[in-house]
Amino acid sequence: MQASNESSSPPALEIDALAFRYPGGFELHLPRLHLAKGEEMLLVGRSGCGKSTLLQLIAGLLDPSSGAIRVGGTAIHALHGAARDRFRGRSIGMVFQTFHLLHGFSARENVLIALLMGELPKRDADARAESLLRSLGIERLDAPAEELSVGQQQRVAIARALACRPTLVLADEPTASLDPENALNAVRVLRDACRDEGAALLVVSHDPSLESHFARRERLESLRAPESSSSAAAARAGGAA
Amino acid sequence: MTDLSIVLRSLRVRAFSTSVVIALVAISAGLLLAILSLRTAGERAFERGTGNAHLLVSRDGSPLVSVLNGLFYANPPKAPIDAAKLAEIRGSFPWSMFVPMAVGDSYRSFPVVATVPDFFTKFEPVAGEPWVFAEGRPFERSFEIVLGSAVARETGLRMGAKLVVTHGSGKSREGADEHAHVHEEYEFTVVGILAPTGAPHDRALFSDLDSSWILHAHDRFEREGQHKTVTAADLTDEDRVVTGVLLRLPSRDGSAPPALVSQYDRMRRDGSITVAIPANEVQRLFDIVASIDVLFIAMAAATLLSSGVAILLSMVNSMHERRRQVAILRVLGASRGRIFWLVLTESTMVGLVGAAIGVALCAIVLFFVTTWMREAHGIVIAPELDARSAILVAMGTTALAALAGLVPSIQAYRTSVARNLRPIG
Repeated sequence: MQASNESSSPPALEIDALAFRYPGGFELHLPRLHLAKGEEMLLVGRSGCGKSTLLQLIAGLLDPSSGAIRVGGTAIHALHGAARDRFRGRSIGMVFQTFHLLHGFSARENVLIALLMGELPKRDADARAESLLRSLGIERLDAPAEELSVGQQQRVAIARALACRPTLVLADEPTASLDPENALNAVRVLRDACRDEGAALLVVSHDPSLESHFARRERLESLRAPESSSSAAAARAGGAA
Repeated sequence: MTDLSIVLRSLRVRAFSTSVVIALVAISAGLLLAILSLRTAGERAFERGTGNAHLLVSRDGSPLVSVLNGLFYANPPKAPIDAAKLAEIRGSFPWSMFVPMAVGDSYRSFPVVATVPDFFTKFEPVAGEPWVFAEGRPFERSFEIVLGSAVARETGLRMGAKLVVTHGSGKSREGADEHAHVHEEYEFTVVGILAPTGAPHDRALFSDLDSSWILHAHDRFEREGQHKTVTAADLTDEDRVVTGVLLRLPSRDGSAPPALVSQYDRMRRDGSITVAIPANEVQRLFDIVASIDVLFIAMAAATLLSSGVAILLSMVNSMHERRRQVAILRVLGASRGRIFWLVLTESTMVGLVGAAIGVALCAIVLFFVTTWMREAHGIVIAPELDARSAILVAMGTTALAALAGLVPSIQAYRTSVARNLRPIG
């Protein structure tokens, strides 16, 4: 995938000299990772290599030890408390391996809650939720989310992530719960939806079979390294940029 | 979708646990409210019963006993006030009401009160609420009798019915009076039926003093070996005894007149009689009962407290599932503060709904209890629950629920998003 031609708008994601120290004595290092507006990228690495931690750092759910992360030009870690939460709600969508839909809520309501938390105007919310879900092929909008098929739940999760028209969508192992055929389908849906909504997409996965679908991809040996050998890890991860 | 609909749905998802906790809260709130309301209603019923008499004179052992016997018909007073004493009391002060009563006869265990016509015109069974005749009129001559509303209802006696009274208390509460006997030869005619007052007088019958005295005189003649039909002309001062006198001092607006204290003190110095201020004696009775009352209220409050603990437990128990939900909401942009309020609103909602159901439950139970009390015992208790107590209990319950929700709310506030969004399947 190519970067957006609109050079005036800030990149969807900029990571520079990122370091995160785990409680267990390991460190995560990422010297540089830039994603242009609307750009797609796949990071492939074995489980435990720090992929999920990286996504939580980007989403502002964890604080880095040092370095900078900017989403759509905003340094998310410079924001605090409710302001950071509000920024995440509006600018970042997250898709998880196990979808993490809210039980007891319908497909429609799962999307509406995202719109509520993102503090989008209420009058537009219903139309937005419905058109988004329908465009993703969800017909039973008012069925409890947990009663939908796995593939449909995945689509609801994608719709929820895109509800507030985010700058960036982070997908953590989005295909790990699916069989190979459905996995390819899900990646296609995810990419199409993000492209339709103009959101940049960063997918992390342990599944190498996804590589053929992404123009921009990187294999991660490990972002994690013992503190002593952190420079070596940094050198390896540096290729991701 | 609003924050409130998220809270309500979250409660509905755990419908069983939510219903059980709400039921628990409702029952304990209802119980507390029922006790408070019945206490208030009971006090009011007692206060009503003292009527408008400023003073009650009798020869009972104590003022409290004299009020219980004279106004609430607990037992027939044993010692009579003789005619000379009665005349002395009457002449000692310009009373605005002077109503002698002789209690001792009965009809089917209902006390028969022999008194004067002023009983219906000057005495009010409930202060400010004079007698109302549902049917007929007051007695005008001997052997006419007026029925209290409960007596009429329970005996089925109608206007014009004939009845004979039992001399002595008949089926008294302590068992049969061994001297009790029926005077078949002296027949009373029902000339009036009173409307309910909510006071114990509803359970009494009323005749004039001569009728009662004639029954006594009859027994006196029998003992002397004379068998005859006694008339008022045969009565002597020995027969003309009463068991109590209801007194009122002149007062302009119905409030206690200043002379009450001095008259009370004056008559109290007379060792041969017992003087009581009915309102004070009822208050004294409440003071005695109050300590037991406090115990009941404390027990109900403890139940309410334990329902608060139940709210806390049910919410802490659901924390495992809730942590995931909290983490998702945080990812979607909810702040810690918002999460805190969502969880606190949830527990408060349980308290509010529980309290509302409790109040409704209490109102329904009170309605049936008061209906039953009126039907079965003729005791009129205000059927509505005490509004002030209801608001107090509802607010207290809701506040308690909010307090119980603090612990899970703080847990939710501190929930780590990173740790709770790991794959679960």
